[in-house]
Amino acid sequence: MQALEQEIKKLVIETLNLEDLKPEDIDPAAPLFVEGLGLDSIDALELGLALQKAYGVALASDSKENRRHFASVRALADFVSAHRKS
Amino acid sequence: MMRRRVDRLGRIALQAAYSCQADAPPCPMVFASRYGDMGRSVELLEQLAQATPLSPTSFSLSVHNAIGALYSIARGDLTAQSAVAAGAETVEAAFVEACGLLAEGAPEVLVVVYDEPRPAPFAHFPEQVALPHAWACSVRAAGEGPTYQLTCGASEGAPERTSVDPLPEELSVLRFLVSGEARFEHHTGSRLWRWHRDA
Repeated sequence: MQALEQEIKKLVIETLNLEDLKPEDIDPAAPLFVEGLGLDSIDALELGLALQKAYGVALASDSKENRRHFASVRALADFVSAHRKS
Repeated sequence: MMRRRVDRLGRIALQAAYSCQADAPPCPMVFASRYGDMGRSVELLEQLAQATPLSPTSFSLSVHNAIGALYSIARGDLTAQSAVAAGAETVEAAFVEACGLLAEGAPEVLVVVYDEPRPAPFAHFPEQVALPHAWACSVRAAGEGPTYQLTCGASEGAPERTSVDPLPEELSVLRFLVSGEARFEHHTGSRLWRWHRDA
C-alpha cells in the first residue's frame, strides 16, 4: 500500500504541475483539498481523469463517496486498490 | 497555487501585468492577444480527435479571457476586464477599448498585450508571431505624462512603409511608445492607424 501511496503522490504532482513539491513533502494522511495541499474543484476533476487513465477506476460525478475518496493520498490509495482494473 | 496552472504565455502576460500594476489600486483592464493561448486549444482538439477525455484544467483555461481571469482571482480584484483579439490591429483595438473605458469615467486603464508563436498545426500560416512577448502599460486621460493620439483612416493612397524593419511587426507599437518618436503609421489591410505623440 505504501508503494501505491508513493505512486499516487507522484501522479498528483505530475498531473497538477505542483512544481515545488516532492513526493516526500506530501503527508499521505493530510487533506488534499482546501487545507493541506490547497487543491480546488478543477484539480479534483483533473485528478479524477488521471486516476481513470492510470488505474481504470471510475469516479461517479456527484457521489458523496468522492469526498471521502479524495480526502487524502491514503484515502485515494485505498480507493484505487479496491477498484483498480489495471 | 495559480502559477502552476498557466503556461509560458500566461506567465509572461501575468508578469507584465503584475510589474505594471504593482501595488496600485485596481483599475479596469484590457487583455489583448491576437492568438491567445492557442496551445491549449490544440491540445484539446487533439484529445477530441483521439476520443480521449479532455483535460478539465485546459478546458477551463482555453477561453480568451482566462489569463485575465486568473489575474483577477489571484488578486481578488473584481474590477471590469475585457479580452480583445483583433488580428493585426489587436494593439490598436486594445487602446480603443481603453479609451472607451476612460471616456466612461475610469481614471486609469491597464492594457496588457501578449502573444507567442502559434503552435505546430497553425505555425505555417502567414503573419506568424516571431517571438513570445508581453508588455503592459497604464493609460490615463490626457494630463500628466506624454500625450498620444490614435486615429484610424483608409490606407488608400497612403504610402506603404518601405524600410525593412528588423523588429517584428507586433512589437512596433511598443517601440513607438517607448522611443519618444513623434509618429508611427501602422498599415493593416484597408486601414491605416496613425499613432501620434504630442510634443
